[in-house]
Amino acid sequence: MIEPLLFWIGSAMFIAGGVFDFIAALGMVRFPNFYVRLHAATIGAIYGAVIPLIGISLIALGSPEIPARYAVAGASFVTALIILIVSPTGSHVLAYAAHKSRAVEWSPVVDHLEEDEEK
Amino acid sequence: MTGYLELVVLIGAPLYVLAVVLYTFRLVRGPTIPDAVLAADCIAYDLAVFLTALALYYKTPFMIAPPIMLALWAYLLDIYVSKYLASREVGA
Repeated sequence: MIEPLLFWIGSAMFIAGGVFDFIAALGMVRFPNFYVRLHAATIGAIYGAVIPLIGISLIALGSPEIPARYAVAGASFVTALIILIVSPTGSHVLAYAAHKSRAVEWSPVVDHLEEDEEK
Repeated sequence: MTGYLELVVLIGAPLYVLAVVLYTFRLVRGPTIPDAVLAADCIAYDLAVFLTALALYYKTPFMIAPPIMLALWAYLLDIYVSKYLASREVGA
């Protein structure tokens, strides 16, 4: 009884995640510099990977014809949790390293981190 | 839900493939190293979703373990490249 509900909620999350991912990829191509592109990349990681993976886990729970469906659901949920923890950490570390090594050319209005480092 | 599973995957998967194509443009073009690493991250996460969708489409649990390794690999790439950029050594 609950299986069609799980299936359709999961399908909606999967397809919405695809749309979000496509929008994030467009932003990745169109945005001007690295620090703005971080915004698009984070949308692509959370809305474009975590939400669809949870949706896939719900789809697998709602489809009795898949063999070992609980294994599929559990593994995709674990992958979603790992990406949810790992992706913000990775982008933060990358932004810190890019600022520290001055790899990105940009003209900010105000940059407090650089002012603090010059002291 | 027997017939709808393939239909849902066939509607959703091309969006991810299209996104991977656009990310690959940024990976090749990217003016700085952090841009390329960011694009590689996004490709790895997209590939994780795509592999789990393949596992649903072919109804097999064999394709379900690689996405976990892919996600952790993207994190490893972030950490090593940032360590190198920040201190000019990898120091594993």
